[in-house]
Amino acid sequence: MSEPARLHTEPESELERSLLDAGRSYKVSAASRSKALAALGIVGVTASSTSAASAVTKAGLGKWLAASALVAGAALPALHYLRQNPTKPALDPSAVGATAANAPVAAAVAPAPSAALAASSAVEPTRSSVPGPVHTESKPAALAAELGALDAARSALASGDTSGALARLDAYARNFPRGKLSLEAEVLRIDALAKSGQTAAAQKRAQAFIQRHPDSVLAARVRAYAGQ
Amino acid sequence: MGSGSLLTTVATSPTPALWLPATATVATFREVSRASEREARLRALVDRYIDFVARVLRNAGTPEAEVDDDVQRTFIAVSKRLDDVRPDAEKSFLLQTALRMAAHARRTLARRREVHDSDAQLRIQAPIGTEQLLDQKRARELLDRVLETMAPDLRTVFVLYELEELSMIEISGILVIPQGTVASRLRRARADFRDRVRALSQIPHAEVGS
Repeated sequence: MSEPARLHTEPESELERSLLDAGRSYKVSAASRSKALAALGIVGVTASSTSAASAVTKAGLGKWLAASALVAGAALPALHYLRQNPTKPALDPSAVGATAANAPVAAAVAPAPSAALAASSAVEPTRSSVPGPVHTESKPAALAAELGALDAARSALASGDTSGALARLDAYARNFPRGKLSLEAEVLRIDALAKSGQTAAAQKRAQAFIQRHPDSVLAARVRAYAGQ
Repeated sequence: MGSGSLLTTVATSPTPALWLPATATVATFREVSRASEREARLRALVDRYIDFVARVLRNAGTPEAEVDDDVQRTFIAVSKRLDDVRPDAEKSFLLQTALRMAAHARRTLARRREVHDSDAQLRIQAPIGTEQLLDQKRARELLDRVLETMAPDLRTVFVLYELEELSMIEISGILVIPQGTVASRLRRARADFRDRVRALSQIPHAEVGS
């Protein structure tokens, strides 16, 4: 079947070109993207703290962790909320008891102490100052911190800042050497490398990824870069 | 990131034992990593296709104010069927879903216009110079005007070929119609589109939309 040249390559008039361009260049806003992620129960990277937190309570991290039957999983939305509001007094570990009451989202989704605990253990490295069974609650907090780190990288990549994304992925690898989301991080890295023009490196990593994880749904994402 | 960590993380990481009941560890952790992969796949879909989905919706007839909602509905539809959708069929699935959403939006809009008056036809106040440079918003308005007046079958083929640059064979597969039908619809759609764009600049406004 012979394919005629697209009209925009040989427009009849400036008017026709403008109309075709308007149709071809339509894009959604960052807010729309966040809303779509929230609708899927995934925390949006650019959502406001309130909508992100409510998105989480709907399904996202809650569902993610429901499988692990963790009471402390409920602290994650609160953590997300607090992390996005670094100026809130809630981050002061000395105010652990009082903070949850000041944070309506935290209070709504989790028993106050565990919410504040999880939040401060992730944000404040000196968590030995926080009383309580730290080792049972720090894991989901670490997971949330991982998600946050990857979200930052993804956000940088989405805005075209490939070097920023790669720097964040380096930081992720340093901070979470055995990270549970390292597969996703590697996919992001391959994406970022390709988009920054380092196609050979992207291809090499993509091929290695597919070889190691041929059945992963993530493999489909890097296949295009592997030249396969 | 050390490349070795990729292999070991999911399968052998000892950390879950610290925070999960021991009996649940292996099965639960598999579930968690499965959920994580699912979420990663959905995120990847949104990252990769959200502009595509929104553009198709908009160009195929979803009004601007409803694009966000239909984008969400489209991705929710794919998330419900995620296990049935092969990775190489994701784009087709999203496209077919978006086209159905847009068709529904078009019908709703048409009913609304029947109830109210047809002010929409009077939006174009004056002939447009063919060489006039238009700002993006105005161009979008005029494009909507032109697309709205095209027959839906022609509009869909036009949008997929001219704005999404799908091949005629791809369009035939997506719409489940013979390739010859695609070719003839495209021929008519292009002629129709050009006529209507010319009409924007030539016909006095009272007749626009007739």
